[in-house]
Amino acid sequence: MTLTLLGIESSCDDTAAAVVRWSEQDGAQILSNHVAGQEALHADFGGVVPEIAARAHTEKLDHMVEAALQGAGLRLKDCDAIAVTSGPGLIGGVLAGVMCAKGLSLASGLPLVGVNHLAGHALTPRLTDGLPFPYLMLLVSGGHCQFLIVHAADRFERLGGTIDDAPGEAFDKIARILGLPQPGGPSVERAALEGDPKAFALPRPLLDRPGCDMSFSGLKTALLRARDGALAADGSLARADQCNLSASFQAAITDVLAAKTKRALAAYAALAPAVPTLAVAGGVAANQTIRAALAAQAESAGVRFTAPPLALCTDNAAMIAWAGLERFRLGESDDLTLSARPRWPLDTAAAPMLGSGKKGAKA
Amino acid sequence: MILAFDTSGPSVSAALLSQDETLLAALYEDMAKGQAERLMPMVAEVMHEAGADMQDLTRIAVGIGPGNFTGIRIAVSAARGMALALGIPATGVSLLDALTHGTSGPVIATLPAPRGLIYAQGYGGAAPAAPILTDPATLTLGAATVIGPPAEMLLTLAKGGAEAGAKAAPAAFAPASAIARVAHARTPNPAERPSPLYLRPADAAPARNAPPVITG
Repeated sequence: MTLTLLGIESSCDDTAAAVVRWSEQDGAQILSNHVAGQEALHADFGGVVPEIAARAHTEKLDHMVEAALQGAGLRLKDCDAIAVTSGPGLIGGVLAGVMCAKGLSLASGLPLVGVNHLAGHALTPRLTDGLPFPYLMLLVSGGHCQFLIVHAADRFERLGGTIDDAPGEAFDKIARILGLPQPGGPSVERAALEGDPKAFALPRPLLDRPGCDMSFSGLKTALLRARDGALAADGSLARADQCNLSASFQAAITDVLAAKTKRALAAYAALAPAVPTLAVAGGVAANQTIRAALAAQAESAGVRFTAPPLALCTDNAAMIAWAGLERFRLGESDDLTLSARPRWPLDTAAAPMLGSGKKGAKA
Repeated sequence: MILAFDTSGPSVSAALLSQDETLLAALYEDMAKGQAERLMPMVAEVMHEAGADMQDLTRIAVGIGPGNFTGIRIAVSAARGMALALGIPATGVSLLDALTHGTSGPVIATLPAPRGLIYAQGYGGAAPAAPILTDPATLTLGAATVIGPPAEMLLTLAKGGAEAGAKAAPAAFAPASAIARVAHARTPNPAERPSPLYLRPADAAPARNAPPVITG
């Protein structure tokens, strides 16, 4: 059996389309993977502006689909189904993607498969490494941070996650506070290379509490206070302090993630998995200090460590095509009434961590 | 055969128009929420009612607003997806153009906008010549026929200003049907990608608290 899926992603500030093929003989293969970012559009606003993002996705989506099909050397009718991120995310962008996919589906007669964006990240190690279930996943990005045991393509058990901000978001805000360029992840990491991680004492939130939940909002505030204390009388910041603050912040995030990973690994070990593996995904997994600390935790627990290449760690559509393919292979698909969902927890059984208002849990 | 649809206002509508401008099938539903779920099934129903196949379509026509930003994007995104899959052109049609289709003489098309404002455009010599977002009190009606949901309100306002000659009239066609007809009257442009007509920039404030100057 061979399956070929088109994937579409537009849940934050990347417009992406990709084609992924899987066959029993050859496994998974990415035939094309196109991503167009929107960094420049949001640069003046200190964060992603939802309305600006939605407008840009609407103008870009069909072009990306064309590019992905062309890159794969296929026509739409050569695909077996169309997978699209139907949540969670910024609703305007998700809607644009879902409606583009519905138009493609109705016009071509191809089945439509709605995909949870988080499932896309969580199933990526199966696309890249063919990981068997169950594996432990740390998803750590600009919008999310959670530990998941991936039992099956449609069964995720959340062990814990952030109760407020995501680390990637914290990196971006910290970069701004410290006068470093966006995106914050790489620029804070670069500055940290020249800094002393012990120069400023920053908190390690929630380490005193059991479980795998995390909090990064207070850390951000603590860093702002530390920076204010380091400012000169004219409001300027010395380059040395910029580097020291970056290094101290990165060390605090790393310590929290490493300590909570240790706990998650212990919970995961109780399952006695055949091929024990810790996988990380999300843009923050690209940080070399964080990645090394997580790999060290895995090694001392006797667990294999894997991280997809950066292009598949950050938002992309190959992961959506793949997650859709896994769903489709199980006989699942959606009809044209598929809804775009701003909130959509992967583990519906776990207690909500965030946004337990009338709209339901975000994650 | 032209397939047209629109979700730019609090409604969902779809229509199928033949090459000789006969309306083959059309549906309209008032709807403030759930347009994204309803639109494509409605399109399928219209196609089914007319006994038409996707391969019969020669063009997609879509309402590009002005109106609800999210609603506009729902229809425009779907139209671009369909046009790509079928390899046929898609034509974006302003709802103001659609409102005045089939009229003659000075006409002002109007649509409600948030915060007590309206979208307006004049045709047949009436002002404003280009579509605008404006305070209804600033509009000069003259002797124009005013079409669209805010028409009666505008005439009441105008009476206070002692403007004579203006009158209100209903739109000649339902939105999707009018969009199909406007598109039919235009030469299809295979390179066109329908683009929303927002008439208002995105609400976004530049970041406060400038970052510190770095020294040393």
